[in-house]
Amino acid sequence: MSGIRIKNLRKSFGSYTALHGIDLQVPNGTLLALLGPSGCGKSTTLQLLAGFEAPTEGEIWADDVLLSSSRGVLPPEKRGISLVFQNYAVWPHKTVAENVAFGLAIRRLPKAEIAERLDRALRTVRLEALRDRYPSELSGGQQQRVALARALAVEPRILLLDEPLSNLDAHLREEMRFEIRQVHDLLGITTVYVTHDQSEALVTADRIAVMKSGHLQQLSSPEEIFERPSNAFVAKFIGANNELIGTSEGQGAIRVGDRVLTAPDRSGAERGGGVSLCVRPSQVRLGESGRDADPGIPCNVLPGTILRSAYLGEYRDVLVDVGGERTLRAFVPPSQCYGPGTAVTVHLPIEACQILDPAA
Amino acid sequence: MGVISTSREGSTPDAAARPMMPRVPLVKTAVFGAVVLLLILLVVQPFGWVLYNSFHDDLSGAWTLGNYARTFQSADLVEPLVNSLILAVATAVIAIGIGVPLAWLVSRTDMPFRRTIRVLTLTAFVTPSFIGATGWILLAAPNSGWLNALWRLVAGADAGPLLNIYSMAGAIFICGIYTVPYSFTMVSSALDEMAVELEDAAATLGSGTLRTMLSITIPLVTPAVIASFILSFIQGLTLFGVPAFLLTPTGIPVVTTKLAEFYQQFPPEIFMAAAYCMPLLLVTAMLFWMRRRILGRKQYVTISGKTRAGRQIHLGGARWPMFFAALLMPLFSVLLPYAALLLVSLTRAWGQGLSWENLSLYWYWWALFGNSETLTAIVNSLLFSTLGATLCIALGTVVAYIVERRMMPGARLLGAVATVPIIIPGIVLSVGFFAAYTRAPLNLYGTPMLLIAAFAATFLPIAYAHGGAILKGIGPDLERAARSLGAGEGRTFLSITVPLMGGGLVSGWFLVFIPIIRELSVAVFLITPKTNVMTTLIYNAKDGGNYEAVCAMSVLLLLMTLLLVAVARPLAQLTGARRTSRKAAEAAGVVPA
Repeated sequence: MSGIRIKNLRKSFGSYTALHGIDLQVPNGTLLALLGPSGCGKSTTLQLLAGFEAPTEGEIWADDVLLSSSRGVLPPEKRGISLVFQNYAVWPHKTVAENVAFGLAIRRLPKAEIAERLDRALRTVRLEALRDRYPSELSGGQQQRVALARALAVEPRILLLDEPLSNLDAHLREEMRFEIRQVHDLLGITTVYVTHDQSEALVTADRIAVMKSGHLQQLSSPEEIFERPSNAFVAKFIGANNELIGTSEGQGAIRVGDRVLTAPDRSGAERGGGVSLCVRPSQVRLGESGRDADPGIPCNVLPGTILRSAYLGEYRDVLVDVGGERTLRAFVPPSQCYGPGTAVTVHLPIEACQILDPAA
Repeated sequence: MGVISTSREGSTPDAAARPMMPRVPLVKTAVFGAVVLLLILLVVQPFGWVLYNSFHDDLSGAWTLGNYARTFQSADLVEPLVNSLILAVATAVIAIGIGVPLAWLVSRTDMPFRRTIRVLTLTAFVTPSFIGATGWILLAAPNSGWLNALWRLVAGADAGPLLNIYSMAGAIFICGIYTVPYSFTMVSSALDEMAVELEDAAATLGSGTLRTMLSITIPLVTPAVIASFILSFIQGLTLFGVPAFLLTPTGIPVVTTKLAEFYQQFPPEIFMAAAYCMPLLLVTAMLFWMRRRILGRKQYVTISGKTRAGRQIHLGGARWPMFFAALLMPLFSVLLPYAALLLVSLTRAWGQGLSWENLSLYWYWWALFGNSETLTAIVNSLLFSTLGATLCIALGTVVAYIVERRMMPGARLLGAVATVPIIIPGIVLSVGFFAAYTRAPLNLYGTPMLLIAAFAATFLPIAYAHGGAILKGIGPDLERAARSLGAGEGRTFLSITVPLMGGGLVSGWFLVFIPIIRELSVAVFLITPKTNVMTTLIYNAKDGGNYEAVCAMSVLLLLMTLLLVAVARPLAQLTGARRTSRKAAEAAGVVPA
């Protein structure tokens, strides 16, 4: 097992630059999620890690071994890095056991050891009973587990997972998330997990790296990412978020339309610069207009009008018009039932708000 | 892990650590080198000689443009060009006009005996067209032809002949019906693989069966139709045996027969011949360019991941009439000519007419045991075709792999080189091989190698295109998975890619083997008595006028080929019945979902 260090990694395809100098550290034994929308460069990073692409600039190290630089690339088969593919890439002409044992046979291990490691890998993903099946006789989830077992059997130093759950149905996806985390806890292999699904990242990862258009946005723990996003893009990408775009009125204050709101400020903006006020819908509180519905904590207060309200069982998802073509989403208790057009007072608890650099 | 480079970070800050491959990829370099060398030997050099020769004077050997000037100025050289074009266009029109409706009937309707029609059409594919022409000479020669004799029984003894196979119309007829299998196969497989959903979608929008067929089904198979048009056109342009048998006797020259004349006259005008085939190359190259223009950006994804068979269109009362119409094609290309050949081959002397005394297996006995030539030719045909097809499919597949996976700079150029022979008429390629390999340092004249190489080169484009088509269906992730588990490129190719290509490679092998075993024009200038093959033997025997022997040998050649195909078909289907069901293949990226 090894830690990964990525230094100033750049990758261009012709005139298009997919990665603009990424720096990443993955300590030995951690599970890092590379999270971002499509085209953010996360898959390119994975291809570079696996050795299928050569970097335009920068270096990739596994502990003290240089894997890739612009001067040369250690070929994939020499890296000791296993990759689990989005489409599983389980070989249809080999049985489950043959798929899993392939990497072991390549290593010319003694027969007894191959058998033992094969059994262990199949047991890890609970596929012992299906060892002689062909992939055509397996479900999607089972194929996914074959792919995982195949990658694990060779005891890689690093495991790469490329959107491993995106082809599964919702129910199975939820189950496999925990399974992947469980396998990681069991084996402790340094893992890089590429996904565009924030909840997958939150459940599985020790660390999350959020990427956008080839730039690293933030690298932190899941809690940190959710609670203290470094900019409005990260806030929006992880969990539901409201963003009010405005201009800075100095440290801790933002002008939105004709109002000035206050909040903890983590933007780097000067007075007059563009900033955004971000607040989670679950933190937004609504009170009936005119009545004092003071929640008892310091709040930014805005008048608003209900646009629509959707009942979701555990809460209501309410869209509020706060004037000037701006809307806010609020998740409120189901008991708070407002019809469209109702005038309300919107309370944004100051400690739940953050002034951040805008997303765009 | 000892294999990984051991450079330490920070130990030498300036001397950059180089994570290069631990050893020079010798095998890879060797394979690429061999591929490039083979392409040079099989395509570049023979074709280069043709090109080089075309600019030289036959008598003086000096550089000249005179050959080209003569091609377009001399009337007796322009006429064959025009005739060849007429023959080619007419062949393509017949191939499309019959092949496309036939494919639709077999693939999409409830016409009775569809399988039989399919099998008989494929039998026509196995038949060398010059043997078909021989059969039709027996049937429709103006005086002696049996159909004409029958006609005179009906119309009176002094009626003129009903049919004359020794004519442009006759040659077009023969070229056409033996080219139909190409368009039939290409279009019917496109129809078979087309997603039913595309048709169903039209149906749910209220489109009737006919409307759906005209506005969805037919346009979707357009690429296959265009491809088969071009292929049929090239057939009509490059066939040698049929015009030699049917047009030469009446003095209608085409380019291929004219080329043969340049070689066989004394003194031969080899350099002139080289220049004379260039217009053909130009026309075919132009067709390919046009196809690119027509298809352009339209991406036809006709293959879906679904296994459901296409909906059958009910012909109702038209079922049987359609069947009889469809039966005409096998009747003309297989049943009638082979009946004629079989009958003649079973008579001791054809001229004595049909009688019990005249019936005999003598010519079969003669072919197999009565002379050594036929047996040698049979062995040669099988041996050369097997080796040629193997070389061809191996080289074509490796080139397709290198191109498809962009494994080396300039890979596309390799692909282009592998495609070049498709525009070169067999007889021209034959000439090129003759020029290239009958001199030092590689004098192969009289060796089997020369024929095997020429066969492999002629059909390399088929092998390459076929290999590329299979590889396009195999997701690169399947190979990358093996790489990331520690398999090198060679190992990955052999243990993942080749098995996944499996049945496709076997059918590709036959796709090359069959045309090789029936190929005449490539072999015609390259054979020696020792390396004679069945087709050249039959061709030369026909020239000698020994019809009974010709017929017996033709029947033997057909039986031989059909037997091999019959053995092979189950073989190709056997590979991977259980393991490569559509679902798994789809999930694994073998076919696009």
